[in-house]
Amino acid sequence: MSCNTFATGSIGALARFVAASLAGAVLAACATPAPPAAPAPTLSLEEKHQRIRANWTPGGPDFIPADTLTMFPCHSEELPCGKMAPPAVQKVDFRGPVKGDAKKGEAIATNIRYGNCIACHNLPNGHTGGTIGPSLAEYAKRQMPVDYTYQRIWDIRAYNPNAFMPLYGTNAVLTGQEIQDVMAFLELGK
Amino acid sequence: MKATARILHACAALLAVVAGPALAQAQDDYWFTRSTTIIPHVTGDKYFSNTYDDWKDEASIRRALAAGKQSRDVNFKDFRWMEKSFDAMVYVDEGKDVFHKKNDAGQSCATCHGENGEKLKGAYAKLPKYNARVGRVLSAPTQIRTCAKDRLNLDYKENSRPNSVLDLYIATLSDGMPVDIDVAAPGPLKDAYEKGKDLYFKRTGHFHFACASCHTGATTSLYIRGQRPSTFFGDAAHYPIWHFGFALPGDDNASIFTLQHQIKSCQTLSRMLPGEEGSPSMTAIEVFLKASANGYRMSIPTVEYNMSSDYLIKQSGQAK
Repeated sequence: MSCNTFATGSIGALARFVAASLAGAVLAACATPAPPAAPAPTLSLEEKHQRIRANWTPGGPDFIPADTLTMFPCHSEELPCGKMAPPAVQKVDFRGPVKGDAKKGEAIATNIRYGNCIACHNLPNGHTGGTIGPSLAEYAKRQMPVDYTYQRIWDIRAYNPNAFMPLYGTNAVLTGQEIQDVMAFLELGK
Repeated sequence: MKATARILHACAALLAVVAGPALAQAQDDYWFTRSTTIIPHVTGDKYFSNTYDDWKDEASIRRALAAGKQSRDVNFKDFRWMEKSFDAMVYVDEGKDVFHKKNDAGQSCATCHGENGEKLKGAYAKLPKYNARVGRVLSAPTQIRTCAKDRLNLDYKENSRPNSVLDLYIATLSDGMPVDIDVAAPGPLKDAYEKGKDLYFKRTGHFHFACASCHTGATTSLYIRGQRPSTFFGDAAHYPIWHFGFALPGDDNASIFTLQHQIKSCQTLSRMLPGEEGSPSMTAIEVFLKASANGYRMSIPTVEYNMSSDYLIKQSGQAK
C-alpha cells in the first residue's frame, strides 16, 4: 500500500477529517525504510482492460486467455510476472448516484466467467451461493454508503488487506460501470 | 439505521487508516496464514484446520462419522481411504498396458522396472525427488517423460494420456504406503519445499488469490464455487485421482488428474497464469504439497473430493 493513498483517498467525511488529523502520524510511519520499491506498472488500468477485452468476452464459454494473465503476478520462475510486485492498493472516489442496470448486474454476479460473486456469496433474487463470504441476499437492508460498497468491490484491501475478495477494479476484472450494475443488483436485496 | 451504518463505516475506514500501513505492507503479496507454523508433515494440519484428529486413521474417521460429522468435516478422507474408484480402474489397466508395451527395440518400462512394476513398489511415496542425471527435482510425470525419452525413445509428454495413465498405474504400486519426502536435510529437495511453500502463499493472478486463499484452515467445510476446499495437509497422498471429465485447453485426457494437472486446473479456475506442468515452480509447489502429506498413507486410485456418490446422496438428503 503506497503511503500517499491515505491522504488522498475518499473515505467518508468523518474518516477524511480523522485522516487529515492523523496525516502527520501516517507520514511519519511512512518515513521508515520502505521495502524495495516495486517497479512502476508498465500498463495502465485502461490498457489492461483493453488487452483483456480485446482477447476475451467475459461471461462466454472460454477461460480467460493465459497470455493476458502475464499482466499480473504469477507463479512462474522464468517469466517476468514471477517477479512482479503486487498491484498497489487503489483508493477510488465514488460519490454516486449508482447508475447501474440490475439485470446486467445479476448476470455479472452469477456468471462463473464474469464477476462470479456467487462463488462465495448468497445473492438477492434467491441465488444460493458459496458460504465463504457473508450472505449478500439482504445487503441493501444494511444501507451501506455507496462509496463504501464501490471501494469494497474495486479494491477491498483499502478496508481489509486479508480479505478473500478479488480486486475487481484494480485488476481490471470489472469496469466501473459493471461494478455499478452489480451494486444496482445488490439494491434488490431488501 | 442509516446513521448507525455511517458510524460503523467510518469506524471501519478509521481502522483501515490506522492499522493499514502495519498490516498491508507485509500481506499485500502473501496470504496471511503464511505466518502460521508450517511443518512438512501431515500433523501440521493442527495449526490450520485442526481437524486432523478426525481423519488421522480409519478408526478416527469411523468415530467422527458415527458422531454425526460429514465428509467435509473429516477433510473428505472417508471416501479417499475407504472407497476405491471403479472409474479409475479402467485407466489403471490402461497404464499397466502402457507400462508393458514394447517399443521398436523390444523394450518396455518393465524391462528395467520389472514385470508388473515389481521394482517400483513404494517409489511413488517418495516422489518428487532429486534426479542427479537431470540435475533438478522431478515430479513423477517429468520423471516418466525423461525416462521414456532417454531409455525407450518414446515421447510421453507430461499430461499426455500415456504419461497420466502410467503415473496412475505406478502410484497404485505404492497404495497404502506412507508418504515420505525428506525435506529436512539441506539440499535441492529442501530448497524446492521452501520455494513451493513461498509460492503456495503468494497472491497472484487476475483475482489476486493464493493457493492458500481457498485451501487453508479458515475455509474448511465452507462452500466456494460449489465445492468445499480441503486443507492442503494429507491431500497429496491421494494423487493422481480420477476426476469427472473436465478438459483444460490443450488436454488430451480429461479424467486423470496428476498433482501437476490439479495445480494447473486450480490455477486456471482461479484465474492465475496456468503453469507449465513439470516446470521448476510447479514441481516446487508439488514438493510442498506432497511433503505436507508426510506420514500419511497413500490411497490410490480414489476420486475427486465432492465426487463420491455417497457424499452427494448425503448432501441432497441434508437439503430436504
